[in-house]
Amino acid sequence: MAIIEEPLALEAGEDAVARVERPLGDLTRPQADGSWKDWLFTVDHKKIGIMYGVAAMFFFVIGGAEALLIRIQLATPNGTLLSPEVYNQVFTMHGVTMIFLVIMPLAAAFANYLLPLQIGARDVAFPRMNALSLWIFLFGGIFLNTAWLFGGGADGGWFNYAPNSSVTFSPSNGIDFYALGLQITGIASLVSAINLITTVMNMRPKGMTLMRMPIFTWMNLVVQFLLLFAVPVISIALFQLTFDRLFGSVFFNTEAGADPLLWQHLFWIFGHPEVYILILPSFGIISEVIPTFSRKPIFGYKFMVISGVAIGFMGWGVWAHHMFVSGIGPISVAAFSLSTMFIAVPTGVKILNWLATIWGGRLRFTTAMLFAVGVVSMFTIGGLSGVTHSIAPADTQQTDTYYIVAHFHYVIFGGALLGIFSGFYFWWPKMFGYMLNERIGKWNFWLQIVGFNVTFGPMHILGLQGMSRRIDTYDEDFGFEFWNLVASIGSFIIAAGIAIFFYNIFYSRSQWKKAGMPNPGPDPWDARSLEWMTASPTPEHNFDEDIVVEGPDEFWHRKYGYDENHNVVRIATAEEVAQDGSNTNVHLPSPSYYPIVLAAGLPIIAYGLIFSLWLCIPGAALLIWGMVGWIFEHPDDPNAAHDHHDDHHDDDDPEALETGDDDDDAKELVAASADAGDEN
Amino acid sequence: MTLNSSAARRYTRVALVVLATLLLAACAGDAELDTRSDLAGPEARDIESFMRILLWVTYAVFAFVMAISFEAWRRFRIRGDDYTDDDEWPEQEDENSLLEMLFNTVPALILLIVGGFTIILHMELNSEETNLVTLDVAGSAVEWEPQVVVVGQQWWWEYQYHFGDVDVDQERVETLPNADIVTATQMVIPVGQEIELEITSRDVIHSHWIPSLNGKRDAVPGRQSAPWKIQADEPGVFFGQCTEFCGLSHSRMRMQVVALEPADFQAWVNAQMEGYPLEADDQAYLEALVAGDTPAAENSTQRAINTFRGKCASCHLMENIADDVWSQERVAEQLVAGAAPNLTHFATRTTFAGGIRNVYDPDTGDFNETDLREWLMNPADIKANYAQPANDDDPRMRGMPNLNLTTEEIDDLVGLLKGAGEKPAEFIIEETGVE
Repeated sequence: MAIIEEPLALEAGEDAVARVERPLGDLTRPQADGSWKDWLFTVDHKKIGIMYGVAAMFFFVIGGAEALLIRIQLATPNGTLLSPEVYNQVFTMHGVTMIFLVIMPLAAAFANYLLPLQIGARDVAFPRMNALSLWIFLFGGIFLNTAWLFGGGADGGWFNYAPNSSVTFSPSNGIDFYALGLQITGIASLVSAINLITTVMNMRPKGMTLMRMPIFTWMNLVVQFLLLFAVPVISIALFQLTFDRLFGSVFFNTEAGADPLLWQHLFWIFGHPEVYILILPSFGIISEVIPTFSRKPIFGYKFMVISGVAIGFMGWGVWAHHMFVSGIGPISVAAFSLSTMFIAVPTGVKILNWLATIWGGRLRFTTAMLFAVGVVSMFTIGGLSGVTHSIAPADTQQTDTYYIVAHFHYVIFGGALLGIFSGFYFWWPKMFGYMLNERIGKWNFWLQIVGFNVTFGPMHILGLQGMSRRIDTYDEDFGFEFWNLVASIGSFIIAAGIAIFFYNIFYSRSQWKKAGMPNPGPDPWDARSLEWMTASPTPEHNFDEDIVVEGPDEFWHRKYGYDENHNVVRIATAEEVAQDGSNTNVHLPSPSYYPIVLAAGLPIIAYGLIFSLWLCIPGAALLIWGMVGWIFEHPDDPNAAHDHHDDHHDDDDPEALETGDDDDDAKELVAASADAGDEN
Repeated sequence: MTLNSSAARRYTRVALVVLATLLLAACAGDAELDTRSDLAGPEARDIESFMRILLWVTYAVFAFVMAISFEAWRRFRIRGDDYTDDDEWPEQEDENSLLEMLFNTVPALILLIVGGFTIILHMELNSEETNLVTLDVAGSAVEWEPQVVVVGQQWWWEYQYHFGDVDVDQERVETLPNADIVTATQMVIPVGQEIELEITSRDVIHSHWIPSLNGKRDAVPGRQSAPWKIQADEPGVFFGQCTEFCGLSHSRMRMQVVALEPADFQAWVNAQMEGYPLEADDQAYLEALVAGDTPAAENSTQRAINTFRGKCASCHLMENIADDVWSQERVAEQLVAGAAPNLTHFATRTTFAGGIRNVYDPDTGDFNETDLREWLMNPADIKANYAQPANDDDPRMRGMPNLNLTTEEIDDLVGLLKGAGEKPAEFIIEETGVE
């Protein structure tokens, strides 16, 4: 893609003579040479973020195709396009793909790309681990989808309730692929969570206190904590499922006396925080977009932060609302009914604060802004239908009907995905150095939002009419025909909207090339946070020099001040404030072979567990090679002609030298962790 | 492209969305499983009246959010695509403690009120009343506290009635004593009585749902449900559909509740307590078979008895005809769930094959031989099932296999099933028409 490479200071091997003695199998660190290898072995958080995005959009096309198959099948009564067997696989894989391989990695794409930039850091804390999480996710996702080639995908629904997930009830290998595939992508999420938490906690420059961080960074920090605690729960459940299916253990075997509700509890203790893992990044995105295009700071910053953290905490106390009809007893139903209702309070606070941000602003409805406002209204519908199922008695009628399908699509599509599209249009120039076409963008937005409402709006009605979820056909006299047909038509409108988005990428890029690749400048939207304070596209080293932060919206405050009447006045242009990315003397960690090697071992082991344990040996060998090589890998290629003797890094920060505050603790911490980053 | 025209279109679109949402209330009309209209039980009606108020609250909140958005759009939007040369800035208000307090407390207050009413309704729906129905069971008067054991399995429902002194809610379904009445796909209840349902499953999780009477409750293997009840206020037929994903034929796992006047219910109980009625010579033929003789079959019924005992009774029980050859253990060797529908009173029901085919033609009232023949020819043509053993370690099946019956055997069996009990009342046949 269109990353313009600053040549690294490390030029390929001056002389092989300088090579030190190495143990067997220890490879020379790869060099950045501008070829495809740069992407394969990169540890740059921006390249990794972009690859996350590309991979997720690839899976998005697969998941979208599955959705269209479902809608064709249900467009008319007694649909015959898919057999019941295939239908069950298609809807299962649609859900699994969209949640684990599309929305989560798209959020990870933005988090990887933007978190270091927004806090003013050069990279994440552990760059190689960042690459590792990307490759593990990608290989896990591909592994999961190869189930189609080995007898069919998982057929138990994304929630995969026991005991329907056992070998007796699902004899194909689909659910083995589900269990092991999600296990693998779960590792990716954990690695990434630890990495990003460490980054945000330790890599902030001077003055960037927690309460000065942009809301996007805050929401992603909350998400990473949710992942850190939620993923182990599903990992345990998936291990138990894998052992049941492959080795005959009886964790979920009801014939041996197991309680099938065990799976439900484990799944939803993960699964409900997962909902916030999906939605909070999008809340973060629109909390950046709305202030920028309203020309106002975010309203109620503290409340936005605290409500996000509150959602993070309360999200752990509501899982059993997925089980109101499972038979958990009236008292627990009452308790979870109330806790679920009250999680609407912090969510409502967010919506009202977005509205207060818009109110009185100078609003420019760019495509990014349209998508962001779309999130506010569509998520409101999803949130309100959510409140109707927190009413446990009403939920006994609604649950497992299309009313629920409508609800969570309003949350995940109307909330998370529209927010991600807002982010695409907003940060595209920062990532790729050209703007997406606004005219086509508006077509994209309108088709997507109209198609979305035409598809999922009628599902509310269908659900209340009694149409169950996960049914492959329905009879003519059920009264479901009309709205199903409408929904199916809507799904093709969505598909057209998404196709226009892809078209927009190619169109905008070719127009940009035709025009001689004009640079959009560091700050095309007159925005507020630090990622706009460096050149577009972001140079490899992010910032030429460390930024000393004096308040929230630091970049905006460097451009604008207030006169005596408290009116905003410009004090500098973006070009004057922003760094131009010309500093080539920044030391960056070298690329590494080992993340991709280590990650490649995991799916091979997983295939081995399913088909032949012998295959685990080469998989494990690869894994161990990756780990050992990783541990002994030299911090940098010894041949590289860079100067790594000065460990103080203070020369990057002239101000620090001038003021002579070398002993500033915070400063030391940043430098120390930057060094730690080099080695990881 | 001016922002104005796109925004105008947005206004129209979203107005349409609002309209569509309002249609929710109006359009949820004539569906058989509708949760909001044609309700026949107090529980379903209570839920609906709560839901109706709640939906208006949600419309109001949504309208508020949209009104603010549109008013902001109308008042504050700026046209044009140039972002950098605009040096006009609005007032930079970013805090207002009073507003924030309202943002927190107003939603919390609304939810507190909603929550209070929710708990009241929830507790009411989960309360049990003690009602006793006096029934004549096999000649003796029984005080029956109306209770039905509901057992789900792939992909049909069994309903058990225990009139004796059985504490069904403390035991797993496998260890329950034989029920007085066992029926499949159709639950029959007396009107005006609160019926307590003990819902469980023999294989995977299913969910029992009769939307016109009450919400749903999962059937979880190894567990009896927490108390769940239904009540029908008038005679009628009420449809249901399994609502927890349960595998291949989840969409074809349906059921009906038939509510009868007390006298009709008593008549139904009487009929269900009888075994299969045979003519004297057929009875003699059967008794010879039971005694171990091999008499030659002389008519269609006798041939059917032979076929049933040989091929069907490894799973299906037909009382009087196959009592000695059928056993619970034997069924458990054949089927994962360890149960197949009891066919003794097949002809008293109006649907078969998991509630997706009619036993009687709903228009003419004639016995539906065509569908039954098709089913016996190859059940998988009508309802997808895993009739073949799933894997080498487990020979048990889920669903009825193709028994490769000859046309003559099928004719005989159709005759046998046609004689399995009295034809039900006309209104039940009409209302249960499922195709």
